[in-house]
Amino acid sequence: MEPLELCYMSAGELSRLIRDRQVSPVEVIDAHLARIEATEPTLNSFITLLPDHAREAARRAEAQIQAGNYRGPLHGIPVGLKDLFNTAGVRTTSGSRVLDNFIPTEDCTLAARFQQAGAILLGKLNMHQFAYGPTGENFDYGHMHNPWNPEMVTGGSSGGSGSAAAAGQCTITMGSDTGGSVRIPAALCGIVGLKPTYGLVSRAGLTPLSWRLDHPGPMVRTVEDAAITMNAIAGHDPADPATTTRTVPDYTAALTGSVEGLRIGIVKEYFEAPLDSEVETAVRAAIAQLSELGATVTEVSLPMFADAQAISGTILMSEAAAYHRDLLARDGDKLTPSVRLRLEAGLFVTAADYLKAQQARARFNYEMSQLFQEVDLLAGPSEPITAPPILATEVPIGDRTVGTVGALTQYTRPYNISGTPAISVPCGFSQAGMPMGLQLAGRAFEDATVLRAAHAYEQSTGWHLQRPPV
Amino acid sequence: MDSGSAIDRQAFDFLARAAGLNVDDPHMEELFPYVQNALAANEGLRNIDTSGFEPEASFDSAHFYQG
Repeated sequence: MEPLELCYMSAGELSRLIRDRQVSPVEVIDAHLARIEATEPTLNSFITLLPDHAREAARRAEAQIQAGNYRGPLHGIPVGLKDLFNTAGVRTTSGSRVLDNFIPTEDCTLAARFQQAGAILLGKLNMHQFAYGPTGENFDYGHMHNPWNPEMVTGGSSGGSGSAAAAGQCTITMGSDTGGSVRIPAALCGIVGLKPTYGLVSRAGLTPLSWRLDHPGPMVRTVEDAAITMNAIAGHDPADPATTTRTVPDYTAALTGSVEGLRIGIVKEYFEAPLDSEVETAVRAAIAQLSELGATVTEVSLPMFADAQAISGTILMSEAAAYHRDLLARDGDKLTPSVRLRLEAGLFVTAADYLKAQQARARFNYEMSQLFQEVDLLAGPSEPITAPPILATEVPIGDRTVGTVGALTQYTRPYNISGTPAISVPCGFSQAGMPMGLQLAGRAFEDATVLRAAHAYEQSTGWHLQRPPV
Repeated sequence: MDSGSAIDRQAFDFLARAAGLNVDDPHMEELFPYVQNALAANEGLRNIDTSGFEPEASFDSAHFYQG
């Protein structure tokens, strides 16, 4: 089999070949390392690459499978982790040279779960410094570059995860999402990004940005791969007090290919916000496609959408400043200036305003829960624009010019506030050839319904089969 | 203390000191306008009617959606 074909296979396809011993994990890892070598000078997806570790793990996996000890669908699958996931013996920088020599002694829970499932860690992925930015620019380790056009951002903060999955450098990558950091790069790089329900996936061993907004999630090329990943990582973790003790379902079993009977709400306020006309056309076409597939589509209203920025911004600023306060005092002058400013600004939010934001969050969540009595899913754009140029601080949308940070987080922040599951799935390309994403969101702990609808849509299109020119 | 765009230099310096920042650092000339803008962007928060809602200080999304 051609090495490049192995790199663009989904985990679902690859795992069946590995299980049936038609492909060896060694072949798979060699193909991916060659792909990384060829594309990394353009993309800069990785902060730390682990070729020796990966080859050794592949040989071990091959021996295990040959001996009849196949562990399941992640056995022998190449994985990359955002560089704020602690990995024992492997430096974990959070995208900052300040932590260039930080080598954790223990794996985070998710790294341990991947290892237990037999997945092979290829390396640690580039990211916006301390996950505090939505573009994927990094002045310490170099900017991330979009595989569809390297002059454009990947989106962030999990930008390396987005580019690595989109360009076939890894089969599965993981990101973390505080205001959109999984879904933004997923949409801008043309892959699938799932922000699971808050409390479904452990945060233990991840560098926090905001305790009450952080959600780790998979970034992959197909919805089935998101479900396969969730099967391995979701569920209670004693090391993360926020994780649920609920029984976790088999997420792949939810992928029935049908949306029959599902009620989907289009949030009208999403289309009143600044929105590129090409993106709007693609997203409306995607929703029409879901309707043709059997879903009932109605318009709904979320008036507090306009307040999402103030609510999540206040919580994020306060919590990020609280967590990084010692770092600021010690090494503030070594941080990227824009990240330093964001962190320091949080020190000026009063306790009264922080609590007001948490009150407003309660009201926001109440309004969203009312919406979810009318519909099963909410649909809209993941992003109002396609990927902007690297270092652009403002972007044109129609006849307006808006700030890049605000635009990129416009549609993603609401679901960090609510903690409810949301996915970005590819829904087309602009005339310039840049990917666009459809966002589907569901009720808390109904991640399976979100995956089901995204999968049905994906399988009725060919967007996920497109490959970037890199 | 009033937040948002109304934060003046005196209040900024007071809070900066309280937060342990060095107010004599030239960096403060950059931070002051940044803080003004950042707080102004979130100013709408105060206009949200939150009567009847307690702060979500201990957040559990399941709390809201169990039917």
